[in-house]
Amino acid sequence: MAGKQIKVSRRMLFTWCMLGGFILLLSPGSLTSKLPLAFARVFGFPLRVGRSISLSVNSQQPGPGGADGMEVQYQNYIANLEAELEQERRKVEKLSGLRSRRPLEGANLVFADVIKASVSGFQSELIINRGRRDGLARGQFVLGDNSIIGTVATVDTSTASVRLITDPASRIEVTIADTSRIMQGAGGNSAKVEMLSTEHKIKLGQRVYAKKKPGLLDVAMIAGKVSQCKVDGAQPLLWDVTVEPACNMETLSSVAVIIMNSQKGSKR
Amino acid sequence: MRWVRFAIFVCVVTLVQASVLDVIAVTALRIGPDLLLILLVFFAVYFNTTEAVIAAFTVGFAADLVVGVMGPRTISFGMFGTALAYLNRVIAVRQKPYQSLAIFAVGILAGLVGHILSLLKSQPVASNILARIFWTSLYSAAIGPFLFLPCAWWMRIKTHRFNR
Repeated sequence: MAGKQIKVSRRMLFTWCMLGGFILLLSPGSLTSKLPLAFARVFGFPLRVGRSISLSVNSQQPGPGGADGMEVQYQNYIANLEAELEQERRKVEKLSGLRSRRPLEGANLVFADVIKASVSGFQSELIINRGRRDGLARGQFVLGDNSIIGTVATVDTSTASVRLITDPASRIEVTIADTSRIMQGAGGNSAKVEMLSTEHKIKLGQRVYAKKKPGLLDVAMIAGKVSQCKVDGAQPLLWDVTVEPACNMETLSSVAVIIMNSQKGSKR
Repeated sequence: MRWVRFAIFVCVVTLVQASVLDVIAVTALRIGPDLLLILLVFFAVYFNTTEAVIAAFTVGFAADLVVGVMGPRTISFGMFGTALAYLNRVIAVRQKPYQSLAIFAVGILAGLVGHILSLLKSQPVASNILARIFWTSLYSAAIGPFLFLPCAWWMRIKTHRFNR
């Protein structure tokens, strides 16, 4: 019996494999999304080595607008301060001088290394080496070079995937030209702002802020800049606004996840 | 087929595809070759049909792991890898131009079917997905036949051997 060889016809083999494929396809995403995370966890070391090679080769490439990494960080930091200042000014006006605590003061920033990045492929996502045991949960905002780069999409025990703002599945509320709109990822390295009337004045390079979201983001933070703005061919009363991320997401080696109202209070 | 060598090879190529391949990506769309597609055609062309069927589904599964959406590429790679293996029994794809053509055709077809299956899974897709499929297939077709030699060396096969 030990030496008995099981013979399976090609047709049966093909049928079983197809069946396996369809089971994978039709299984709930909450189950199948754990497989890529498990792959990233098992092969974490070689993926990190490969990524560092890729980063070292790409380090010569300039960031958005020709700026280098540090300059992008400072620009984003200043943009966030301006947004914070504007928000505080409005509060001051409303509350007649009553001050509240500083934005992100109660937040816990969990720093994570990027294990795997799919920025230029069909999907735009990062896999990071922090997970549920570090307090990560779905929907939390993720910072890269002081700008919002995406949200946590799936969480495993020790890894998580970050859906970048450029991913076609990403839809986040943003503030542009003093109005709130939805920004959807367009694949590659861009996103689109939807339903923006031509009554609003939009300039190239104008900042686009991720809107504050109670429980997830205390203050508006920069997410990108307008890289193209033209009248929508299909709907002439609307702008077709293309936004590029505020940082070069391909070269990110570490990110920070914002955990609001954290019980820990200490920063990692 | 040397299955241990096959397993190691698929793992290494998957890791390379997932991490370092951005280095040779070109244009604003960041188009790079699909090494797993090249591997799929290699196994379909140089191995017998049964081995090619198993290899096609395994490579498809690896491609799903790289992309992060499970199912579409397992099915599309499996389907067209098997079809190419059967076609190879009738028309042997041995010359480099034909191998390039096979990579390009399988890339386009598997890409389109994978895209449709992703839609079935309610996965939003990039607006430039068709351009991306076309250029990725073309890039893979351009370099693919040259990568067959190191693949054949690792798998310890003779590329001039006819094995149907």
